[in-house]
Amino acid sequence: MKILPEHPCVIVGGGLSGGLVARQLARRGLPVLVLERGGERHQGGESRLPSQRDELRWAVRGGLMQDAAVETYTLRRSRNEPSRPLRRLQVFLPGTGVGGAATHWNGQSFRWNDYNFALRTRLEQRYGRGAIPDDMPLQNWGVGHDELEPSYDLFEKLFGVAGKAGNLRGVIQPGGNPFEAPRQNEFPQPPLEITEAGALFKQTAEREFGYRPFPSPAANSPAPYVNPDGMRLGACQYCGHCDRFACEANAKGTPDVLLFPWLSRQPGFELRTHCHVLGLDFDRSAGRIRAVRYLDLQTGEEVLQPCQTAVLAGFTLTNARLLLAGGIGRPYDPASGTGVVGKNFCYQASAGIPLFFRDRWLNPFLGAGASVTVMDEFNDDNFDHAGLGFHGGGFIAAGTSSGRPIMSRRLPPGTPRWGTAWKQANADWYAHHMAVGVQGSCYPHRENFLDLDPDYADAFGQPLVRMNFDFRGNEQRMMDFMATKALRIAQAMGATVVGGVSRPGAAFETRFYNGTHVTGGTIMGPDPDTSVVSPRLQHWDAENLFVVGASVFAHNSGHSPTVLVGALALRLGDDLARYFARPGRLS
Amino acid sequence: MARSAVNSDLNRRDFLRLSSLAAGAVVPPIAAASPLAGAALPPAAAEGPVTYLALGPDEAFIVERLVDVMCPADDLTPSGTELGLAQFIDRQLAGAFGQGQGLYLRGPFRPGIPEDGYQRPLNPLDFFRHGLHGLDQACRRRRGGGFTDLDAGVADAVLTEVAAGGWDAEQTGLSEWFNDLLYPLFVQACFADPVYGGNRGKAFWRLVGYPGLPAVYSRDMITYRGRPHPAANDPKSIEDFS
Ligand SMILES: Cc1cc2nc3c(=O)[nH]c(=O)nc-3n(C[C@H](O)[C@H](O)[C@H](O)COP(=O)(O)OP(=O)(O)OC[C@H]3O[C@@H](n4cnc5c(N)ncnc54)[C@H](O)[C@@H]3O)c2cc1C
Repeated sequence: MKILPEHPCVIVGGGLSGGLVARQLARRGLPVLVLERGGERHQGGESRLPSQRDELRWAVRGGLMQDAAVETYTLRRSRNEPSRPLRRLQVFLPGTGVGGAATHWNGQSFRWNDYNFALRTRLEQRYGRGAIPDDMPLQNWGVGHDELEPSYDLFEKLFGVAGKAGNLRGVIQPGGNPFEAPRQNEFPQPPLEITEAGALFKQTAEREFGYRPFPSPAANSPAPYVNPDGMRLGACQYCGHCDRFACEANAKGTPDVLLFPWLSRQPGFELRTHCHVLGLDFDRSAGRIRAVRYLDLQTGEEVLQPCQTAVLAGFTLTNARLLLAGGIGRPYDPASGTGVVGKNFCYQASAGIPLFFRDRWLNPFLGAGASVTVMDEFNDDNFDHAGLGFHGGGFIAAGTSSGRPIMSRRLPPGTPRWGTAWKQANADWYAHHMAVGVQGSCYPHRENFLDLDPDYADAFGQPLVRMNFDFRGNEQRMMDFMATKALRIAQAMGATVVGGVSRPGAAFETRFYNGTHVTGGTIMGPDPDTSVVSPRLQHWDAENLFVVGASVFAHNSGHSPTVLVGALALRLGDDLARYFARPGRLS
Repeated sequence: MARSAVNSDLNRRDFLRLSSLAAGAVVPPIAAASPLAGAALPPAAAEGPVTYLALGPDEAFIVERLVDVMCPADDLTPSGTELGLAQFIDRQLAGAFGQGQGLYLRGPFRPGIPEDGYQRPLNPLDFFRHGLHGLDQACRRRRGGGFTDLDAGVADAVLTEVAAGGWDAEQTGLSEWFNDLLYPLFVQACFADPVYGGNRGKAFWRLVGYPGLPAVYSRDMITYRGRPHPAANDPKSIEDFS
């Protein structure tokens, strides 16, 4: 094994959170080394016309994603069944390469409701002490919205987020999300254009129901934009090739466009691509990480990179794997409910209702990743849950963000699956379909957790992470409720045909995409007995180890994770600067 | 097999003979030679021979028949074979997808429920062949002839039964083969960019009104909000910009 000289700060993962932590350090002139398993992409067919618009290669075959043949995850829905690998990654799509999954995200850029960070306290106060079931280990995060607000604000400016404020310093703003936590500033850019589908939804939700829909905040730039680092975004072309694709117009807020090119010009910054991190060398008695071990994929050589500080920013499952495999922190034990690593693994429950309008031109191909219209009346704890028998909720939304004909085409229920009638239905409905969707929360369940699979290994011989997961009763009841609410709106929209609701079934489905919003496993919190990292994201058992990403979320809300991941990463970067000045436990 | 042969006055025996020859790529493609081809087709649809790399002649013949049952020549499009759907499927199977790209193929193998997804040790090409031969054998047992011997109506009904799992007792895993391998390949063949060999002449994009490339719509978002988009009548593909 090759042993390199010690580095002051090694970050595992060159994606969104790794790039943001690095920015906060590099702008202060501090040295940073980022290890990324994938490569750069800007010269490739994925980033250039015409090949960028290839649905088969990038969307269907997942050309930008983690290769399951190299590394995947296993699943068991309960502890008394054997696990099985996700032999194809379809249900969620971890990224690889500089920029990570945020290269091919959609850019729906939500802040979270402020009460989420003390959700246990909120629910106990609102519904009584016994209101949280024993099998739901909801925990407070040990951080507050006000502390995060400046980091949220900076993230939005760096990524050029487009939207309409709903709550400006406590004053509710028309047109924005009235449930939003107070923000200090308007969004840096005005909202994207609304789609025909979004307009129809908005009209019905407002007029028929009195709801207050708003444009999804979007990291799709409506106009050319220059961020505080002088980095530029082009204008979004509403091309419908956003999620699963790199943006050929450089109009999507992504780390590979906004962060890494800037970082590469900073002295003291180094990015090593094609370095697959295998493990961490943990000195248990000292409570310190000594080195990061990686495989140099260009040479096949195993390399030991000693470090003074290590940051895990390798997405939810890599973060959890490195701690579990390194024996760093006590693994979670579902039988006793004790231990922490792997605990509170959450996902999101989603549902969709297809709609078909004979006389309306919905043109699904006109759209950006985040050109959707959203309402938050039933998200999380925005409504009274007394007597409902569940906690949580989600947003209801409509819009078009892609009319890609292989995967985004919808047909009315009962349509034959092939033949002349199938073709005729495609001809009749393609330009005239849309969907009303729900993206719902997922609160922790005692039996939903991550551990290492004893039976399966990746291409490098490392054990695969095993997801012990299913949507349990709370999420199923929540989806019953949400589906009913969404269906009512859908039915009032005047469609020729309202399709059936698709939603989580009895067994967790791995064959269809359900979002890449997997969270938890290395959760943050104020108590070392119930969390892996402190509220400052410092590992409780290894003082020089920090973890960032949605893996630190103590539960998952109905909002998308990435803006919160971004805010936490920026705050961590600032904290690390303090830590370098005065190492020790951060408070 | 070409739409022309199916629709013309050639009898089934002639059709079979010609098809297997054509599938062997020895004779010129029938679609081009036929008087019936061309006329109703978008110009590009009949261009270029249909060729095969992974499938043998008999296998290709069954696949041609499958795509012609699933996409018959009608007022909407030429037949599946003429549109290159069989060729698309062959190319995918011959290439990275068929060889198991993006597919974790390490053991132990544990058959699961459908929601677990694919759990077999076979790569997609081998599973495809297995299912294709299985379908053909099952047809011989249950319908007294191979799949290609069946009338279009009977073949269509067979596929409906297969998709619903009705033939799984006869041939294990046949519904999974159909629903999770053949059917997605069929849909991809119809709607992927023609550069992959299917969707010839952008016939399916024309059919539904998907404009394809370059999809630069910042103005159109407003101009054509709620109105028909002119490019839907004349879709453009990767080749048109190369
Ligand atoms: C199709 C799609 C659409 C999405 N849309 C949205 C959306 O609209 N809104 C939203 O909020 N979120 C969205 N997301 C989620 C968003 O992309 C992620 O939340 C975000 O990228 C997470 O940041 P991260 O830094 O944790 O992970 P990433 O950005 O993925 O970065 C992690 C990096 O670590 C690297 N890495 C992992 N393991 C190793 C290892 N062992 N060694 C070295 N490097 C390693 C990876 O290659 C990757 O580059 C979407 C995701 C996908 C896939």
